[in-house]
Amino acid sequence: MHVPDGIVPVSVAAGGFAAAGGVTWLSLRKIERAHTVPRNGVPKASLLTAVFFMASLIHFPVPPTSVHLVLSGLMGVVLGWYAFPAILVGLFLQAVMFQHGGLTTLGVNACIIGIPALLAHRVFTLRTRFGARRRAAGTAALGFVAAFVAVALGAAAASLLIVTTVPAHLDAVVERTAVTALLFAHVPLGVIEGMFTAIVVLFLLRVQPGLLEERF
Amino acid sequence: MDSVRALTLIVTMAFLVLAMPAEVALGHGVELSVAPHESIEVNAAYEAGEPMAGAQVAVFAPGEPAEPWLRGSVDEEGRFFFVPDSDRPGTWEVQVRQAGHGGIVRIEVEPAGVVEVTGGGLTPLQKALMAACVLWGSIGTALYFKRRAV
Repeated sequence: MHVPDGIVPVSVAAGGFAAAGGVTWLSLRKIERAHTVPRNGVPKASLLTAVFFMASLIHFPVPPTSVHLVLSGLMGVVLGWYAFPAILVGLFLQAVMFQHGGLTTLGVNACIIGIPALLAHRVFTLRTRFGARRRAAGTAALGFVAAFVAVALGAAAASLLIVTTVPAHLDAVVERTAVTALLFAHVPLGVIEGMFTAIVVLFLLRVQPGLLEERF
Repeated sequence: MDSVRALTLIVTMAFLVLAMPAEVALGHGVELSVAPHESIEVNAAYEAGEPMAGAQVAVFAPGEPAEPWLRGSVDEEGRFFFVPDSDRPGTWEVQVRQAGHGGIVRIEVEPAGVVEVTGGGLTPLQKALMAACVLWGSIGTALYFKRRAV
């Protein structure tokens, strides 16, 4: 899901930075308006950035390829509007430290992973519609769905971007086949992340329900 | 007179046979020669270790970043071999790509042969150390913002 340097044309990379800049600005403004003390959310965002950063090092073999954790859904669910800046920082560190993704594609990757995270939060907030008796089951189910949706949207966006920008010197058909295989490899990843997110939100609901109260 | 005409005919025919395209006339002769060359082996694997079997490879000669000098694909073990043209010294670039994943390695080629290869991975220890630094940075940030205002 991390698009490395040199894969997309310069115009797409520039567009990615513009879009990521816009969403970051929007996120920061929303955070400022929604919280009387915006910095109170920073510890949570900081710790989840560390989790996000480490997650990409955990690989799962899905023959014929392998996928790694992204945790965009978990970021969105727990952090709300803080998720986008947190993902941006996490991606920057991944690109600089591990050459995972790239600096030129930082904007593109932030959009591919960060925007689905914001949508995941929107999905997760539907849990307020569940009554008190079914609160736990509803929270877990929506945590699963939100994480699955975030992975699916991210993988679909990345695949679409890669397939539509294959350079002329490559065999587009071969690349398309490989991308399709990778796209389907993200279905099990979505299930894994969904289960993980469901467990985390259930745990938080028990021990610190206040952490899940991040609002749009 | 007849013998002269017959001779002329034979000579003309001999000429015609000899003048036929070489491939046809010498179709059975095959010459194989072998010369050792210093070839470059590119190994392409995903981070988890499995080879990027079937990934596409493009080799770019120095000063020609737009048009690949050679195209190919890596084998099942993720390997790709090629011999750079030593008459074209400079930085050769090998790009490997599969499903949007990929990278570039640069190979310095001089008339005497390959000099230097740049672009490689990190050791697990380096990775662990960097991950630990980032982790500590995040925890530190969290603790800093968590402290009560004085």
